[in-house]
Amino acid sequence: MPTAPATPYRSPDGIYDEAVGPSGAPREHAESLMSAVGALAPEQLAALGKRRDRSFLQAGITFDTIGPDGQAVDRPFPLDLIPRIIPAEEWSTIKRGLAQRLRALNQFIDDVYHGREIVREGLIPWRLVVSRTHFARPVVGVRPPGGVYAHVAGLDLVRDGDGSWRVLEDNVRTPSGISYVLANRQAMTRLAPRLFSGYRVRPVDHYPQVLVEALRAVAPADDDEATVVVWTPGPLNPAYFEHAFLAHQMGVELVQASDLVVRGDVCYMRTTRGLERVHAIYRRLDDDFCDPLDFRSDSVIGVPGLVRAYRAGTVAIANAFGTGVADDKAVYPYVPDMIRFYLGEEPILQNVPTYRLEDPDMLADVLGRLDELVVKPTGESGGKGVVIGPHATAAELAEARRAVLANPGGYIAQEVVRLSTVPTVEADGRLSPRHVDLRPFAVFGESIRVIPGGLTRVAMEPGSMVVNSSRGGGSKDTWVLEDDRSDRTPEPEHAAVQGERLLAALPEVRWGGSWVGQSQQQQQAVAAADPPTPTPTPTDPPEPR
Amino acid sequence: MHFGIEYVTQYRYDGEVVDNLNAIRARPATTSLQRCDEFHVRTDPETRLHRYVDYFGAEVVEFGIDRPHDHLTIDVRARVTTSDPDPPPEAPWSALRSPAYDIAAGEFVLPTGQEPPPERTADLVEVTRATSPLATVRLTTELLRDRFVYDPTATFVGSTIEEFLDSGAGVCQDFAHLAVVLLRAHGIAARYVSGYLWARSPDGGDDSMEVATHAWVEALLPGLGARDEPVWVGSDPTNGVLAGATHVKIGHGRSYRDVPPIRGVYRGQAKAEPEARVTMTRLDPQTSPRA
Repeated sequence: MPTAPATPYRSPDGIYDEAVGPSGAPREHAESLMSAVGALAPEQLAALGKRRDRSFLQAGITFDTIGPDGQAVDRPFPLDLIPRIIPAEEWSTIKRGLAQRLRALNQFIDDVYHGREIVREGLIPWRLVVSRTHFARPVVGVRPPGGVYAHVAGLDLVRDGDGSWRVLEDNVRTPSGISYVLANRQAMTRLAPRLFSGYRVRPVDHYPQVLVEALRAVAPADDDEATVVVWTPGPLNPAYFEHAFLAHQMGVELVQASDLVVRGDVCYMRTTRGLERVHAIYRRLDDDFCDPLDFRSDSVIGVPGLVRAYRAGTVAIANAFGTGVADDKAVYPYVPDMIRFYLGEEPILQNVPTYRLEDPDMLADVLGRLDELVVKPTGESGGKGVVIGPHATAAELAEARRAVLANPGGYIAQEVVRLSTVPTVEADGRLSPRHVDLRPFAVFGESIRVIPGGLTRVAMEPGSMVVNSSRGGGSKDTWVLEDDRSDRTPEPEHAAVQGERLLAALPEVRWGGSWVGQSQQQQQAVAAADPPTPTPTPTDPPEPR
Repeated sequence: MHFGIEYVTQYRYDGEVVDNLNAIRARPATTSLQRCDEFHVRTDPETRLHRYVDYFGAEVVEFGIDRPHDHLTIDVRARVTTSDPDPPPEAPWSALRSPAYDIAAGEFVLPTGQEPPPERTADLVEVTRATSPLATVRLTTELLRDRFVYDPTATFVGSTIEEFLDSGAGVCQDFAHLAVVLLRAHGIAARYVSGYLWARSPDGGDDSMEVATHAWVEALLPGLGARDEPVWVGSDPTNGVLAGATHVKIGHGRSYRDVPPIRGVYRGQAKAEPEARVTMTRLDPQTSPRA
């Protein structure tokens, strides 16, 4: 008989708890785990938590959050000690649903930058597509090497009150969080190896290898010769740990903009041996900051000419430029139609019911019950600007109403999903149900591969449904169980990472300095009958940063 | 009309720079009203040129000079033949609601994101409302010329529409940005045009003139009959006239940012002293009956 927990764990009414059924008894897949956890006294769990924080701080696995005083706080990434378990057959559906959705999103991106067939078919208005912040005019008509746009996708899933999985949000720009998936698994095997007993958990640590293989598969070079790099904005970026971690695990260089240069229409990396050609770039920054010649001209960071190299097909960019058009929240309601249109299939994973507010009828309905709905700005990610009606104050609701009325097309509204809960350790070592979501990661190279599990994000406070790590949420190790009847093919062995590299016989870059914007000419022709104007007044170039 | 265009830009840096990358939008477009007969770009120092056609249809010439240099000359030569457009169609306001208009207007009726707060332009929108879309285009064009002062010292290349409204003065770029916002407020699709403008010298005698790159707008006017395609009509709010054969179009976009004549970056500590000169020469005799 397992020892009963000090306080019986109870799931709230109307909420789906993933470990414990409505009767209070553990679900079949969680029985062994719950009895192992039950055998630990709260003090033991609390002590284990302290050990975990120390080791995360030592390893530099931290996350910046904004504290109540407005200051950035560097704290250990909070890993809850109780894993979340997903049974094999459930995962198999999720995995197929994710791959289906990613295939459709990839085709949509290709379509909006080329034939626009979905628009001509009348399924999505062109003005909606073209007015998305991330619609990238510089790459219209450009096909990426290998035909893949969204190489790395992190789609956010939630479970509703009846336990059904739904897609809450698509992320096909630069989704972060995979390093925590890997770090969490490693930490759990060290801190609580006994919890694993009785479970066959599918591994996640091959992710970096899967990613580097996918990038080599699409890179415009012979398979083993492609040079891949990870491009980080730098150590000040909140996800810098992940960039460095991935580059290290992939066995490739971690570079910043100043390490890359475009000559002619080819991208090179500066090395101690001279310039070395780069075939694939896993970039971890927004389009806007990638190339001041083609994207934001007021930005002098980035690699000038990179879009030209991309246009010439000499370098693969992961994810490709312009993918943000597909994960915009105003495009999200159309994804089920995309799946039907491009794939001729019914969606395996459903959307959360969503209302587009340009529609006056929907707007009126939504404004009438703002306190029951979630309102989201369309162009943002990471929970920015999201108002959760049932948890919002009267002042927050009034502000949301004002913002929506001023720009209805800039927002969507969604039904509140009563997120599922999972037992979570409180500071005193007791268990309480906390709401969670799941960000599984899929990698698209030659084919689509989904990493078992993903990042489970946990709300920081009991009852709260805000799970974004940038807003103080925690995480859980997420176990996908092996299917006993599994036909899973074993993951390939770690291949030799260092390919033969091309040494470019090109001049060295002499200046390590930053880029300076060329002074632009104001268009200022004079009235036709006036005397000729003097030469345009020069404007000061932006200060180098 | 038949023009030769020489557009020379020189940057003199006060030290050495490297990796000087630039994108040039200077080629006269070939449209139903004009034909680009010749186009050459030369740079000093010399380098390889790359060409492509951008999203809005303008030809872009890109180049990079990686070795150290202390000056850059971009020398653009073009020959172009232009003609006056047909008289613009004067359809009623209701014609803006036709599906054909909607399709042709595309993204050029959407907010550009660079609008000043609506209350800043409300009175201008009100006084430019006329009996038809064409009348509103004409009125907007004339009103801007009359209400705003042409003054190259008032604004700079990055000035906003709000700054133009504040100062009441600016250059063609500012006039065009404001015109686009006003026309769109009326539901008329409008876009920013970059190009060259032939200006007759004050004494009227010279065939070769120093000018500058120019900016104006194109407004989409519905066709007269239900089956007639809408047409883009050029309108020059700096000069208060509809565009004609003296206007040589390079390309269009939502604003200056989509069609800057030159955009570039370089590496180095040195600063640039740019000088730009546009010379237009009439190649056909001015006595030509078509002039």
